[in-house]
Formats: sequence, C-alpha cells, structure tokens
Amino acid sequence: MHEASIAQSLLEIAVRECEGSGYSIIESVKISVGKAAGVMPEALLFAFDAMKAGTAAEKASLIIDEIPVTGRCHSCGGEFCVEEKYVLCCPLCEGPSFTLLTGRELNITEMEVV
Amino acid sequence: MKLRVVSKILDANERIAQDNRRIFDEAGVYVINLMSSPGAGKTSLLEKTIEGLAGTRKLGVIEGDITGTDDAERIDRLGVPVVQINTGGACHLDANMIYEVLEDLPLKDLDLLVVENVGNLVCPAEFQVGENMKVMVLSLTEGDDKPLKYPLMFQESSALIINKTDLKPYLNASVEKIRKDVLSLNPSIRIFEVSCKTGEGVDEWVNWLRTTIS
Repeated sequence: MHEASIAQSLLEIAVRECEGSGYSIIESVKISVGKAAGVMPEALLFAFDAMKAGTAAEKASLIIDEIPVTGRCHSCGGEFCVEEKYVLCCPLCEGPSFTLLTGRELNITEMEVV
Repeated sequence: MKLRVVSKILDANERIAQDNRRIFDEAGVYVINLMSSPGAGKTSLLEKTIEGLAGTRKLGVIEGDITGTDDAERIDRLGVPVVQINTGGACHLDANMIYEVLEDLPLKDLDLLVVENVGNLVCPAEFQVGENMKVMVLSLTEGDDKPLKYPLMFQESSALIINKTDLKPYLNASVEKIRKDVLSLNPSIRIFEVSCKTGEGVDEWVNWLRTTIS
C-alpha cells in the first residue's frame, strides 16, 4: 500500500493527540494492523523511523499488533480464523459468501507520552 | 503516562471523502469511482456511456492521470463538463484531490459525476473519494487470472464491465472463469460483457446505470 503516507498520517494523529492532552514527548505508539489491510509492517516501521525526526515522536518506537483475518460464513454460520491474507471462500464449508470480522484494521490504539 | 487513543490512521482521507459525499448529496448528483488497469478501456466506456445517456441524464467527468490531458480532451469533444487532475506521480486519486476541483464543475446541473481514476488495479480501491459506488473495467486481454491476483478492487466494486469481448476468438482468456472467480470474491457484483469497439453489450450496461442512478 502506501506506507510512507500512512506513516505521515500516523505521525500527525500521534502528535496532535499528545499535544492536545498537554504532553510534549511521545515514547511509543501502538497500532493495530490487520493482515488483510494491505500494509507491510517492515515498510511502515522504516517509513515511521525515517519521518519522525523533528517531531514530538522523534524518539518514539512503533509497536505493531498484527490482527488475524477472521470471518463468519453466511452459508454454514461458522466463524473462522485463517493464516492467509485473503479469504476466497469459507474454510469450513467452502461457501462463497462471508463477512470479515477482523483483518482490515489500521488503527492507533495506545501511546506512551511524557 | 499511557494515552488510550482509538483513531483510524486513514481517517483524514475518509473524513474528506464524507465531506465530498455531503456536497454531492446536496447537489443531487450520483458519483461513480471508475477504476481499472491502464488501457482496459475506462475512457472508451465513458464515451459510450455518455452517448448512451445523452438526452436522459446529465454527466460530468473528473479525469485522473499521472500526466497529460488526452482523456479530458476526448470527453470535452463530447460536450460534457470535464476537469483533468494530474497527480504528478501518485498512483491513485484521493478525496482531497477531488475536493480541490469541485468548484470547477456545475454539480447542481449534473445527474451523474464519473471520477475516472488513475489506471492501476491496486491502490485506487483503497481510497474513498466520496463516491456512491465503485465500478471497474477488466479487459479480456489482461487475462482471466486477474480477479484472484488483485482481489480487493473486485471485492469493493458494485459493477464489473468485462471489456474487449470482440477479441474473445483470439484470446485464451475465459469469461466463464472471470465470472466464477469474481462472484466468489463478491457475490453481489453486477457483471456486464461489453465491447466498446463494436458497441456490443453497451446498452445493457447503460440501461442498468440509468435505473441505478435515478
């Protein structure tokens, strides 16, 4: 996907949240990234480290929680969790139609600030 | 000190997309985000669609390309209001690029605004621009393996136009395989087989579109 623009957006949100709460230094930022979100964690870490200089997050570490792909099948009603990034049919009954429950996340969840 | 934050990282784009959507709704215009690989036939489909809807629906077009104005000139020749966005390298249009050009279009006079995205089978599907629906074009010359290789756009689209069907006798690509794979990715998608070259199948697409947008 676009790890550099994601890192940019991530830094903007983190700095705004930090300053808005009356703090000035970000020590860490924790994010959830779904396996099917189309984001490469290594590329995101690289972009974040390259772009954080000169911001309140200058010394911050980025912690990435990878969220597995889970879903509920419309045919058999079963819930599943898979290792793959994309699900083409229900792994339980091979039904073509299902709702993804998790796996597309791209959220900031927590920050440590001082 | 730990701060709990729950914020979507691509929130900024989604927020602007929602603002765009509000502007479109207030103006009473239906918006399509038209996507495909380069050369699949988005502009040709648009030309045929403009002809097909002439006299019944008023169209406007936003053309997205990395550089050049060829597509906008083709649309302009048909007497339809058109704005060209040159992304200067970016591989997709985002909500803010659309917002910036809205004042150049007579939105209140339009029934349908088509945003022709940059030719790319991956990135445009990830960024909302404020559209009511996404429509994609896949040409037979691209091969029948594309849906399973590039699933997201097929999953996000409400309609798929399979273009260049006139070349079927010369290609190994199977329309049946494309249909089967696309429907397994997205059971509710509408599929149309079209040749923009011969005009075959265009009416069915245009009639469906006319009903959908009104």
